[in-house]
Amino acid sequence: MATYSLANERLRALEDIEREIGAILQNAGTVILELSKEKTNERLLDRQAAAFTASVQHVEAELSGQIRYLTQVATGQPHEGSSYSSRKDCQMALKRVDYARLKLSDVARTCEQMLE
Amino acid sequence: MAQQRALPQSKETLLQSYNKRLKDDVKSVMDNFTEIIKSAKIEDETQVSRATQGEQDNYEMHVRAANIVRAGESLMKLVSDLKQFLILNDFPSVNEAIDQRNQQLRALQEECDRKLIALRDEVSIDLYELEEEYYSSRYR
Repeated sequence: MATYSLANERLRALEDIEREIGAILQNAGTVILELSKEKTNERLLDRQAAAFTASVQHVEAELSGQIRYLTQVATGQPHEGSSYSSRKDCQMALKRVDYARLKLSDVARTCEQMLE
Repeated sequence: MAQQRALPQSKETLLQSYNKRLKDDVKSVMDNFTEIIKSAKIEDETQVSRATQGEQDNYEMHVRAANIVRAGESLMKLVSDLKQFLILNDFPSVNEAIDQRNQQLRALQEECDRKLIALRDEVSIDLYELEEEYYSSRYR
């Protein structure tokens, strides 16, 4: 199956952003959980807080980039292209193959009957 | 250099609203998180009793945590809307996807036709022999 690389790249980037948003909330939760303890692990706290800030900034930058790209390429018109004609041609070719297979099986059956 | 086309008002308004939602949600996450960290600080002197202050801080943290989660969900919705907008309006990608699909289908069709032609050539040779056998037999 062909890969629609260009289209899927941007969609995959958006899916990564979704995962990162989940990670942001998890980091925030970890930082607050760590703060609630009596004896806090300062290194873990700093690391998680830095990861939280970096993730938020990264998500904001990525989403801004996607919106900027869409502002440049969107025309407001509906897309009217389709692959219908080549799909129909391919479908007809497969029908021809099926028909040929059917006829060959008829010939084979006739030959077997004659041999019997 | 990309040229800024004149978008219809609705699309331009929509993209501006996406930008606004993004900025608002990110600001909400950062502000609420910062305020939670600030309120975790233990004050020596409070205007109300420690118990009351503790209850107030507890309630404030709950509300701010809920705000962070709401902003996170709003960001997820924004990403979903952007995916939908991308699929419908990113013409370069849609054009490439259509071209690839057309090439794939055309290649399959040519393969089928090529194999059918080869089959026709083989079967015609066998049919010739079968016809000879049939017409020289007593069953014709």
